[in-house]
Amino acid sequence: MGGRLIDAVQNTLDGLMVGSSYALLALGFTLTFGVMRRLNLAYGATIMAGVYLGTWLTLEHDAGVAAGGSAAVGGAILASLYVERLCFASLPERAALASMVSSFAVWMQLEEAAMLALPRHTYPFPALVSGEPLGVVLPWGALALRLEYLVMLGSAMAIGAGLYFVLQHTRFGRALRATTDNALGARLLGIEVGAMRMRAFALAAAVGGIAGFLIAATDQQVTPMLGMWTTIKGLVAMMLGGLGSLRGAVAGGLLLGVVEAHAQWYFGPQVRDLVAFLLLFACLAVRPAGLLGSARAGGSHRPPGGGRG
Amino acid sequence: MSAAPLLEIADVVTAYGRIEALKGVSLSVAAGTITCLLGPNGAGKTTLMLTVAGILKPKRGAIRFEGASIAGWLPDRVVARGVALVPENRLVFAQMSVRDNLLAGAYLRKDRDAVAADLERMYERFPRLRERAQQHAGTLSGGEQQMLAVARALMSRPRLLLMDEPSLGLAPLVVGDIFRIIAGLKAEGTTVFLVEQNARVALDVADRFYLMEQGRVSFQGTPGEVVQDEVIRRAYLGSARPRLPSPPPQAGEG
Repeated sequence: MGGRLIDAVQNTLDGLMVGSSYALLALGFTLTFGVMRRLNLAYGATIMAGVYLGTWLTLEHDAGVAAGGSAAVGGAILASLYVERLCFASLPERAALASMVSSFAVWMQLEEAAMLALPRHTYPFPALVSGEPLGVVLPWGALALRLEYLVMLGSAMAIGAGLYFVLQHTRFGRALRATTDNALGARLLGIEVGAMRMRAFALAAAVGGIAGFLIAATDQQVTPMLGMWTTIKGLVAMMLGGLGSLRGAVAGGLLLGVVEAHAQWYFGPQVRDLVAFLLLFACLAVRPAGLLGSARAGGSHRPPGGGRG
Repeated sequence: MSAAPLLEIADVVTAYGRIEALKGVSLSVAAGTITCLLGPNGAGKTTLMLTVAGILKPKRGAIRFEGASIAGWLPDRVVARGVALVPENRLVFAQMSVRDNLLAGAYLRKDRDAVAADLERMYERFPRLRERAQQHAGTLSGGEQQMLAVARALMSRPRLLLMDEPSLGLAPLVVGDIFRIIAGLKAEGTTVFLVEQNARVALDVADRFYLMEQGRVSFQGTPGEVVQDEVIRRAYLGSARPRLPSPPPQAGEG
């Protein structure tokens, strides 16, 4: 009995920890898809590009973990500005499909570039902290906890809260929301819509770069599949939580992690992803706007009101 | 006319691709007045407003505000200079709170204390906006959204307020409210240049009228002259309905 319970607690704990990496990814996706409403498929690939730059620096130039992390964030920002200029700024806003398709092409481009620079399937990445996992002894058994995951959980919470503050309470955040709400209306107030979008892309990429760095430093290895992995986990977590909701992104990420951890423990690792998609399917069937999303994100752009004279 | 006009537009041509929507528009707006621009759909009224606001770039011609040439300036410079446009269909930020809409209107201003004071002033002037300060703008009624759009534009402290069809889609009673607000702005010293198809309500407040047809100004005059003009009276005042379904007959060249 005690063993069962401690397993369940440990699984939940593991899930929350892995889920905090999903939460970080989902925050970046929320900013890109939910707040800016850009169908940017290259977002995960820009994270991968940043992490690869960091990996290359640590391998070729013996840079430490801090330099590797800074390079991951900087690289992700540069890659995302490339995506923004090429796929979004140069195409009219009504051509959202063209932007999406070209961002998919850039995803492939970035993946090829990463594999040309570092052709092996996996490379080591320096650890964030060295040492044994923390042990927590409870009356009915012992729990293990990795410090890296605590850092990740703390980062997800802090970045989520920070983004919320920036979006809701700063001049930049208001202008960014105004830009996505009604670009012409924003321009008429003197908001430089193009510059605002570039800054928003850079901000989302910085969040993604931090997420990618923490994930790589926790796994202590990188593969070119990181782009695909971050895209799938980030998208599923974002949709679970609700498009456009920062709290939803964190909640969706944590929920996804917990469900995956339990599924893996009870049914084996092969069902891990299957359960994640089943969860998404069930959630979308019951609550199309996600757990904490408002109805508006699920439906049309137009407000319901306005016609009452 | 007394002193130099606040806004002077001379021979402005604006084109969408190769199609000229404005074919050499000249008019002027005197300081401290309400000037009303009439005209059928497709005459180029909105194009003119967007050109003055800096959204569209004129191909030719001069636009002077307080004597300075602002033709071809980007919107941020135009707003900073003291010209704000309340656009057609209001374009409020539907998913932002009323308060955030108003603060976005003050985007270019750095004087935070004065912005806070202006916000308070807007709430006093439009008590409905204070009541709904935390609500999403998209949940407001059409009339409330129009008030919000006006208040948002005023947050940049313009000396010239451009308004594109403020009565569009509003109930007659609400239209009356909006025009009382416009008259109040003039009383406070803000110059107003508005596009309006509802000439009947505009007659009560406007000091000067222009009629635009097919990209050109085809008539200008005082309210008295508008009432005297047979063609305009038939097209814009003759019907009991506030708006005519079809464009008016041609006055002058075609």
